[in-house]
Amino acid sequence: MSERVGDDDERRGVRTFTPDFLTELFRNPLDPGYADAAQARARRGRSPRPGWTVSPVSLVLIVLLGFLCAVAYRQTTAEESGRAQARSGLVAQIKQRQADTDAMSERADQLRDEVNRQREAQLSGSQASRLRNLAASTGLGRVRGDGVVVRLEDGPSGQDGLGGANVGPSQVLYSDLQGVANDLWGAGAEAIAINGQRLTATSTIRNAGQAILVDFRPVTGPYEVSAIGPRSMRERYEASRSALTMRKVAQDTGLSFGVRQVDDLTLPAAPEPRLRYAEPAVSPSVSPSGSGSPSPSGGGR
Amino acid sequence: MIAVLALLAGVVLGLWLDPTVPAALQPYLPIAVVAALDAVFGGVRAKLDRIFDDKQFVVSFISNVLVAALIVYLGDQLGVGGQLSTGVVVVLGVRIFGNVAAIRRHLFRA
Repeated sequence: MSERVGDDDERRGVRTFTPDFLTELFRNPLDPGYADAAQARARRGRSPRPGWTVSPVSLVLIVLLGFLCAVAYRQTTAEESGRAQARSGLVAQIKQRQADTDAMSERADQLRDEVNRQREAQLSGSQASRLRNLAASTGLGRVRGDGVVVRLEDGPSGQDGLGGANVGPSQVLYSDLQGVANDLWGAGAEAIAINGQRLTATSTIRNAGQAILVDFRPVTGPYEVSAIGPRSMRERYEASRSALTMRKVAQDTGLSFGVRQVDDLTLPAAPEPRLRYAEPAVSPSVSPSGSGSPSPSGGGR
Repeated sequence: MIAVLALLAGVVLGLWLDPTVPAALQPYLPIAVVAALDAVFGGVRAKLDRIFDDKQFVVSFISNVLVAALIVYLGDQLGVGGQLSTGVVVVLGVRIFGNVAAIRRHLFRA
């Protein structure tokens, strides 16, 4: 079929090694030993075995091949089930931990309510109401009132027929939620929660991969942004940029977007913020000997 | 025909005995299977070329399996096991493809 580079040499019984291994590999994948053996046989005048019979040794090897295949298959499937087990174990652990976290945060909420009650019992009326107002506006207290609920939902997947269901604006993006929350604040909202996650001054709305995180806790669609505020809030929000943008997006794609007035909303309290304290920068120019050591043991006496 | 029966017998034997592979040998089993497949397809092609030789088949089968496992073992010791086993699979895969193409030409004249 194809002319070999070292054809003359091979006829003389000398095996040559061509420099270009890959070319040779593609051109002639058969072991050269078969050709050699056939030549040797021809020289000795023996004919090859007729038909499809093979020697017992070859038969044993073929049995071994089947055996190897079966064992490898068994091995792979066994590993697969082990992996699936480990995975389901991890999933169960995650669920367990989430349930634990939920139970503990519920307990924390109860304790916080208890603390609030005790505090209000101790404080005078005006101080207590001032504290309540502060807690409501900072997001640390549960609030009830009338307001609006903005509902966003991903469009139906796979609608563009190119397998690009995850691209484009038919999915609610974290920036959409950011825009909605910001414009609700702008429209006069006093308290906002996304899917029951209360927003405070330090809340974050970000994405991690496909998921949207509000204060580092994942939220999934449909997204409901609830806001408590004055009566005029709905009108003002409807005229805001994010509402107009989302209406247009909802028109163009399958995404759904709706704003409705809801009476008697209850927004939960945000988790207690982790307070961070500013520390004075240590300036290297201060000599340690002059200022004296401010250690508590030395200054106590 | 006998060869096919032998292959089936081997599969049945493997499924029936269900031996446990020592953990140290586990990474080499798939490579060994691919190497053995290469030797078998080479043998079938040689048969169709009428140059089949039992000794050559046995030697190529055993040496293929051993060399493939050895290369992967060496790679594991040197920290390039994954890459080397990819290389082995590519080379053996090319050979299998070439031999299967030759077999196809023999059987279907196409």
